[in-house]
Amino acid sequence: MSEKNELLFEMRNIEKIFAHVHALDHVNFDVRKGEVHALLGENGAGKSTLIKILTGVYTKDGGQIFMDGKEIEINSRDDAADAGIAVIFQELSLVPTLSVYQNILLGKEQSRFGFISDRAEKQQIQELIDRYGFPVKATDIVETLSVAQKQMVEILKALAADAKLVIMDEPTASLSSRESELLYKIINQLRDRGVSIIYISHRLEEVFNLSDRITILRDGKNAGVVEKENIVPSEIVKMMIGKELSESTASRELHTSDAEVELAVKDLTHIGAYNHVSFEVKKGEVLVLTGLVGSGRTEVIRSIYGADPYDSGEIIFEGKVIKPSIKRSVANGFGLIPEDRRTQGFSPLLSVTGNVALTSYDKIAKGGFVNKKDEDALGRKAVELTDLRPANPNVKVGDLSGGNQQKAVLGKWLTRDLKVVLIDEPTVGIDIGAKDEIYNIIEGLAEQGVAVLMVSSDIAEVLRVAHRIIVMREGKIIKEFNHGVATQEDILLASSGFVDEKEAA
Amino acid sequence: MSNTIKNNPVYKAIMSSSRILVLLVLVIFFTAVTKGTFFSYKNLVNILYSVSLIGIMICGACFAVLLGGIDRTVSGNAALSGAIVAMTILNGGVSAGNVALAIFLGLGAGVLSGLIHGLILSRFNIPAFLLTLATNEILYGFVQVATGNTLIYIHDCTLMDYIGQVRWLGIPIPVYIMIACIIFAYVVLNHTVYGRQVYSVGGNRQASELSGIPTRKVILIAYIISGFMGALAGFVLSAMNQQASAGQAKNYENNVLAAIVVGGVSMRGGSGSIQNAILGAFLIGVIENGMNLMGVPAIYKDMAKGIIIIVAVAMDMASVQGTPVNNFLRRFKKKSA
Amino acid sequence: MKQMRQETLRRIISLVLLVVLIAVFTFTTDTFLSWDNITSMLRECGVVGILAIGITTCIITGGNNLSAGLMLGMVCMVFAHLYHYTALSLIAIILICLLAALAAGAFNGFAVAILQIPDFVATLSTGMVFQGITYILAIRNQYGSITSEMIKNPTMALLGGKLGNGIYYVTIAWVVISLIMQVFLKKTKMGTYIYAMGSNRKSAEYSGISFIKVKMVAFLISALCSFIGALFFLGRYGTNDVDSGSALSLQAISASVIGGAAFSGGRGDMIGTLIGVLFMQVLRNGVLKFNMTTAQQSIISGVIIVLMLVFDAYYNEFMQKRTARAAALAREKEGAGK
Repeated sequence: MSEKNELLFEMRNIEKIFAHVHALDHVNFDVRKGEVHALLGENGAGKSTLIKILTGVYTKDGGQIFMDGKEIEINSRDDAADAGIAVIFQELSLVPTLSVYQNILLGKEQSRFGFISDRAEKQQIQELIDRYGFPVKATDIVETLSVAQKQMVEILKALAADAKLVIMDEPTASLSSRESELLYKIINQLRDRGVSIIYISHRLEEVFNLSDRITILRDGKNAGVVEKENIVPSEIVKMMIGKELSESTASRELHTSDAEVELAVKDLTHIGAYNHVSFEVKKGEVLVLTGLVGSGRTEVIRSIYGADPYDSGEIIFEGKVIKPSIKRSVANGFGLIPEDRRTQGFSPLLSVTGNVALTSYDKIAKGGFVNKKDEDALGRKAVELTDLRPANPNVKVGDLSGGNQQKAVLGKWLTRDLKVVLIDEPTVGIDIGAKDEIYNIIEGLAEQGVAVLMVSSDIAEVLRVAHRIIVMREGKIIKEFNHGVATQEDILLASSGFVDEKEAA
Repeated sequence: MSNTIKNNPVYKAIMSSSRILVLLVLVIFFTAVTKGTFFSYKNLVNILYSVSLIGIMICGACFAVLLGGIDRTVSGNAALSGAIVAMTILNGGVSAGNVALAIFLGLGAGVLSGLIHGLILSRFNIPAFLLTLATNEILYGFVQVATGNTLIYIHDCTLMDYIGQVRWLGIPIPVYIMIACIIFAYVVLNHTVYGRQVYSVGGNRQASELSGIPTRKVILIAYIISGFMGALAGFVLSAMNQQASAGQAKNYENNVLAAIVVGGVSMRGGSGSIQNAILGAFLIGVIENGMNLMGVPAIYKDMAKGIIIIVAVAMDMASVQGTPVNNFLRRFKKKSA
Repeated sequence: MKQMRQETLRRIISLVLLVVLIAVFTFTTDTFLSWDNITSMLRECGVVGILAIGITTCIITGGNNLSAGLMLGMVCMVFAHLYHYTALSLIAIILICLLAALAAGAFNGFAVAILQIPDFVATLSTGMVFQGITYILAIRNQYGSITSEMIKNPTMALLGGKLGNGIYYVTIAWVVISLIMQVFLKKTKMGTYIYAMGSNRKSAEYSGISFIKVKMVAFLISALCSFIGALFFLGRYGTNDVDSGSALSLQAISASVIGGAAFSGGRGDMIGTLIGVLFMQVLRNGVLKFNMTTAQQSIISGVIIVLMLVFDAYYNEFMQKRTARAAALAREKEGAGK
């Protein structure tokens, strides 16, 4: 705390290359002592790669890292910890059945003949807790704590390890607003005590309030560094986005603007997930629900499909109120491309044909026996419709690349007569070429008159495929954009909380 | 020339399965060591006969394993069914009607047991291994109650005599029953919607559920099939021995599990085939038989089986997580570095 | 909001069940609560209880040990074999037995931690190996068939004895080892690591705790328990038959589960297992008073285990739902307040 501007940590010209693609291209990043430094960027801008390098998960392909002015190498988690770097994980890494103090000291216990000096440890940790005024007790069992409290334990763990640099990756994603307020207070406290913090969040509002500085990344490159006094939200959003996309919704007319409504929800509510959500999807229309992760989008479409329950409201399909169950949904011509394809989308051990056929045995089987010829034809049809590569329906889906796995999942439903398709983050972890093909498939579905309801956080993607856009925040619909009116900036600002009250109303 | 060989289906089958190769090597080895006794017609029939019971059980238990579960009650179901058949015949005589009733009750007990297991395991997240370990004890308790802990002989029952003693083309009837069961399991697993669903649910239950597959029903049916096959094996066992006892078929579930695992059916579910599981049974059968012929005392068989399972599962795990030796060395290196 | 811990509730439930069971048998039979019956029940608890200590330790690491009972059988047979065929001193024999048990435990650890075989399958298979060894070592008559042979050693017989007030040494050993292990689990570094590994393997490993080491320690402890159990088993019966082991494992596992140990790991302790063993024994003893056969007993104890398993699964599901629901409502309330 001797001098506010003294550098604690510096990364110079960091490079990381994945399969000939520069994930990080000569990125510079530094953190001062006792500073909250936010790292901003869209999905895929390189934030998480940078963090993984700095915590020893990845090794850099080029560049230098300095801590307290000395060059260091970080090749493992241990190296990072030794250098005084600690991460507060998004998925918490605590041991649920142990107490707070046991967790904080796990692996670092003071012991004599193997016996832990219990009382001293409890006292030591309680003192640490009291110093910061956290609302937890050293002897509380972790599994009885709330998410926010668990996060505090993570922070305490970092402090107990004498961390000089604490990384917080989306720490407020699963916190309520009151809990978030408490976290902000804690962050300020840490800063006052000289701890440096790297803060990553999609919630621009909190980033602007908390940070002393903001580094913005775009496409694996530095896009700018902004000091607190110079923060102008719209400027920063522009830096994140770069140039306006030339192709926006304006270029795509909805051919069937007078088409009939295929699916509608009215006042749909699932307590704790989403609240009084209402919208309509027409035949041939692509409606995208966007917003931050945790805003209730995925939960809405899972409820519509019958995979999750809802508490009140109506789901209307072709003019009739329906009570969805997965079985009925499939029979009605619904399809779901789920959020996490690896755990929910496909059976990795089955071939493309095997996966695709799962939804169609009503068509290709008689009396319980599968017609092998029809089944193979179905597999070939799916490969053809999605341009799946290798063009071999007998390959195990687990062996395919991400994009082709997603095509196999799409193939499950494309081979059926679809009426409504629910798509959740279809291009996460998929390379750019395959992304385009998946967009074409989605557009093709809409042209055939299928009602498409999609969830996406990727704003470029939203603008590319949507006829209409609904922005959700904290379980509520915040704003609706008709095609052609929204820009990336508008959507980003709306989803992270910068909407005029008038507009929202 | 070489191409025609390579396209030969038999050649393909052999090369695609290392187990067949191992089996061939073992057969040659034992034939050489026993100076041909092993490969005699009589001994080969012996092997078939000794594998037949396990084979029938595998045709049921395989479904549970493919779903990522396990069914250790095949032996209890067999014992119970055998006891019920024997007791019904003992009490009601050997008239055709009564024998039919006996079979119906025996197999029905297996189906009922499978139904109960299926209901519990499809609804609750309970380790199938432990549940069936406990229920197998219950089943044996019932067997003891039914038999009164005594050996029950079945006399003069034409059907049982027929199954136990008659040979068609020199091959005992139980072998034909096993073949019928294998065909049944093969057809169900490879040609029916249900079979496809078994593989899918075993591979990824969540994804299957979202595709509209009734996953609970799939699990339920698997355990019913398993119960039925266990009971059928018990009936055949009683016919072979012309008797039923309180402890019959005990520990057969270990042999079944060993065969399935050695056959390369993954304990994690979703992959493996009935052919390979049966092949696993033959591998173990050949080893046991060969050891017998070589004069190795029977007491070494348990040990051999235990070690075979360890090796087979270790190989299965290594194929997913890297070989244990490498992992160990890596960890070790990391620590010393 | 803080919630009552899952364990606390489970402890209360299992204690209540035990008390109810004792009450039922006290009122329905007249001999149940006699001092003789109590001491003999506690004697019966001994060997199973000692095995259950080791098995619970394995379960807390997120594993299991089906081979514990068969290992006990093997150790008994090693003892009997050496005693019958060699002229070694008692101390030497006991030392060799200890080494055999530790080697067997290390073999379990090797199969689970290094070969990465799931605990159930691994210990089932190693159990088969132990049983094979038991057969091989069995004492045979001149025709080569297995015979039964009493070990008539006064020192060993002492282990089967009792104090003046009727409490058997095996009971004391069981309780003392349970208490020692309870302290070990709760107060030592390794004990904490055992819980951490079972509860969240990843975070334990991130904290620098070795999976291999923890598993090895758990299986070695279990082997030690099998060894001690074997000595008392021999002290009491003076003999061992080759098939006695597998039923013991199952009883001990059931006791662990009833006592609150969860197969998912990280939960359970020795006090719970103590209650579980008592529960099983009270049940068996009480049922015995109704003149039930062994068959009926095994049916009833089997059914109770199944009910406990179903209850446990249902209970966990219920608690998860309740927690999620409570969190959702809290979020909702706050949202409305804004």
